[in-house]
Amino acid sequence: MLDSFEIVSTSGVVLWSKQYVPVGANIVNSLIRDIFIEDIRTSGDPGQKPTYKKEGYTLKWTVAKDLGLIFVAVYQSLVHMTWIDKLLDNVRTLFTGLYSEQLKSKKYSSTEYPFDDYFDRQVQELESKNDGQPATPARRIPTTDTTPPSSSEGESAPAKPSVQGLKVPNRSIHADSSADATPVPTPDASRPASPAAHILQAKGLRPGGKLSRRDRQRAKTASPAPSSGDEGRPTSKGGKKSNTKKNRVWDEFGLADHADDNTQLDYSAPADLDEATSQAVEHVEESTWGKRTGKGEFVLKDLEDEMDEILSKVSAGKESSSNSTNGFVGSSLGAIGGLFRNVVGGKTLTEADLEKPLKGMEDHLLKKNVAREAAVRLCESVKVDLIGAKTNSFTTIETTLRSAMERALTKILTPTTSLDLLRSIQATNRTGRPYILSIVGVNGVGKSTNLSKIAFFLLQNNFRILVVAADTFRSGAVEQLGVHVRNLQELSAREGGHIDLFQRGYGKDAANIAREAVQHATSADPKYDVVLIDTAGRRHNDTRLMSSLEKFGQLAKPDKIFMVGEALVGSDSVAQARNFNASFGSGRGLDGFIISKCDTVGDMVGTLVSMVHATGIPVVFLGTGQHYADLRTLNVSWATTLLMK
Amino acid sequence: MAWHDQDSWLTWVFSPSISAIIVTALIALLLPVLIHTILYRTQAQASTASFLLLGPSGAGKTSLLTLLERGSTSATHTSQTPSSAEITLPSTIKSASNEYRSENDSSFSGAQRFILTDTPGHGKLRQFASDKLDAKTLKGIIFVVDAANLSKESGGRAEEGLTEAAEYLHDVLLALQKRYTSAKTSKGPKELPVLIAANKFDLFTALPEKLVKTELEKEITNVRNTKSKGLLDSGIGTSDDAVEEEKEWLGDGGEGKFEFRQMEEVNVFVDVIGGNVTGADGPGVGKWWEWIAKQI
Repeated sequence: MLDSFEIVSTSGVVLWSKQYVPVGANIVNSLIRDIFIEDIRTSGDPGQKPTYKKEGYTLKWTVAKDLGLIFVAVYQSLVHMTWIDKLLDNVRTLFTGLYSEQLKSKKYSSTEYPFDDYFDRQVQELESKNDGQPATPARRIPTTDTTPPSSSEGESAPAKPSVQGLKVPNRSIHADSSADATPVPTPDASRPASPAAHILQAKGLRPGGKLSRRDRQRAKTASPAPSSGDEGRPTSKGGKKSNTKKNRVWDEFGLADHADDNTQLDYSAPADLDEATSQAVEHVEESTWGKRTGKGEFVLKDLEDEMDEILSKVSAGKESSSNSTNGFVGSSLGAIGGLFRNVVGGKTLTEADLEKPLKGMEDHLLKKNVAREAAVRLCESVKVDLIGAKTNSFTTIETTLRSAMERALTKILTPTTSLDLLRSIQATNRTGRPYILSIVGVNGVGKSTNLSKIAFFLLQNNFRILVVAADTFRSGAVEQLGVHVRNLQELSAREGGHIDLFQRGYGKDAANIAREAVQHATSADPKYDVVLIDTAGRRHNDTRLMSSLEKFGQLAKPDKIFMVGEALVGSDSVAQARNFNASFGSGRGLDGFIISKCDTVGDMVGTLVSMVHATGIPVVFLGTGQHYADLRTLNVSWATTLLMK
Repeated sequence: MAWHDQDSWLTWVFSPSISAIIVTALIALLLPVLIHTILYRTQAQASTASFLLLGPSGAGKTSLLTLLERGSTSATHTSQTPSSAEITLPSTIKSASNEYRSENDSSFSGAQRFILTDTPGHGKLRQFASDKLDAKTLKGIIFVVDAANLSKESGGRAEEGLTEAAEYLHDVLLALQKRYTSAKTSKGPKELPVLIAANKFDLFTALPEKLVKTELEKEITNVRNTKSKGLLDSGIGTSDDAVEEEKEWLGDGGEGKFEFRQMEEVNVFVDVIGGNVTGADGPGVGKWWEWIAKQI
């Protein structure tokens, strides 16, 4: 069962919502944060809409990019609902179709959207459609719940399974009966027309139209009253006639449907109706007929017809737009206009316009050492953003694309959380615990070097540091760290810094050494503030080596795990980032990247983007040289300028 | 008929005929009235004061916007794009520039209106806000914080709330200070008031205004300290105009304790006022209305 359905604008206002069961706002909030802002990808079948799971709820969504709307359906993960995709699509077309004017106006967020009726119809329709097929019991319960209000009799339930089959007979019966019925009141020109109109109406009916037919009848019996009240008696006859005429046929429709119990369907007085029809028929003229039908239909038009109209209009529009660009004159004029607009601006961008510049942009990014996967995805997201948008005055497509790409890069590289290492160390130390920081990475990327740079930076802030040599594999690794520690001790001795090395030699289990080191740091007097753990380099696609990281993470319980990646590496960076991020088991991932050797690549800093793009984890530090002080934090605008240069 | 002919219009204008005198008199009398009305109309609508809503995610910015716009709140979710709305002050509150103006004055309603721009508070989307900081019509900044999510003692989640709010506020104030120090003219930009709207006062755990102020000041001091000790960022030294990119410290050269009062040196005036957008007894945003009214 659907729990909640919301239509949210990108500015954060809920435009319309329907809650069957109260669902906390945090569910949708986390969807927006994770999917729309952080851009975490979800797995799912390509043909289906993506899903997002949170706290036992499953969320499906669709967007109307041009209007800035998000349509979200929330339901319990236990329930399997097949028709949500269809519902989302239908609601999107309906909502945008019905309220396109209001949504484009400035005050769209404070407008009321009376969408409830439309939505209920859609849900009923889709639910009943589903009932035609073998349905699970879970799905059947809601329909029996919802049907009683619309149909007062219980007989609708047994009739339900055969609805699909009834559709065709219905129509033929109805055509027959109308032909039978009409001769009585009139031999007029209106007669041949009326069955046709009714058939048209009948065509609009859905398989599950039984309920709606009644609703329609009810709506109809209600609607003539005000119109006849407004107008004078004689003039109202025309309108009334058409209504009653249809009414009568619908009535008959109903009769044909349940031949045995015909009386209960008749809500209005039948004698009255006949009288009205026979009276009205005398006044029928050819000229008023058309107008009347138009008017009559307008009065009769119920939600379902309106909905069908909108839905069919949209699908028709799709078809026509696909084959609209033919004809020589039209296309060449369009081309000239397009060229002109490309210079002057104000052009609405289409996929064809963007194809070539996007290819150029992709090549540009590849030249900047962005991995192909990341470049393609970036271009895709920018394309989705730009299609349907208008270029500003005096800007070309290329400029628009550039600024859009800059925005996308800034968004990706900007960290979500604070990266202030000093503050988090202080916060952790306040609880009486040392801050544990470990560093992982592929062989030879500069793990030990960057570790000692971080140590130097922390020493300057007067922290007591314990460096742990957990690389028990590569010969010379412990000695290398020893040299670094000795150097740092000498450098910081005057400033009162304190740094020690914790080592257990080679061949031991790294995870156990790390745990021992943490215990040592906690029990030492005075306590160490920060524990820096160096690990052995490992190939990211070697499952045997990577699997030991999970144990390491569990035993050492690091506050932060940083991965060192080279700026030199190309498309492998994506796989590196992903594999290391996944290697610590579920619930634990990397906390940041350190991109080393940035001074060797000039402006080709694409690795930054590739790694962040693959995982959504921010870049914390950049290594920019050979000295201890050559460690920098990332300046996002600096990186984007380099990339777009 | 040229202009120098005997019976041309020019001759007629200068002739002492009664019709010419009437026409001249009419023009002389009506033209000033006409010009006055035209200028007056356009002037009144030209520059509507604008305000910027900033603050961390979940503080209640979008709710506040909807409340001020239509008088009732609506359900909101995390914003992704900025949005703005034109808002009219309630009839009970007169804006500062309307103090001596009659309510029948045509420019009265113009001066009662302002534009409020809501920005997304999520960390990745704050660039929208910083883009808008140097708008010409900007009359003030409303920085919304969640007063129920600021206390240090409660630890955990609330402490994060305080840190996030303080960091964002630090960045905003630093940007405002830079606006002042990097101004070309010696006079500097106009004064810019900042309202720290301590939201959610209806909640039991909300801190009082004074405490919100001191907590934020303390935390900004911390932020400033760690920033000053932190590493240089990668932009420095790599760009050509490295001399100009010296780091700036917020208030008093970054020494000692930070207080909002220090910002007055750079024409930024900070007020902390509490209120609540939602609540059992209805919204309590009267003081915020008054603050806004004072600025326009």
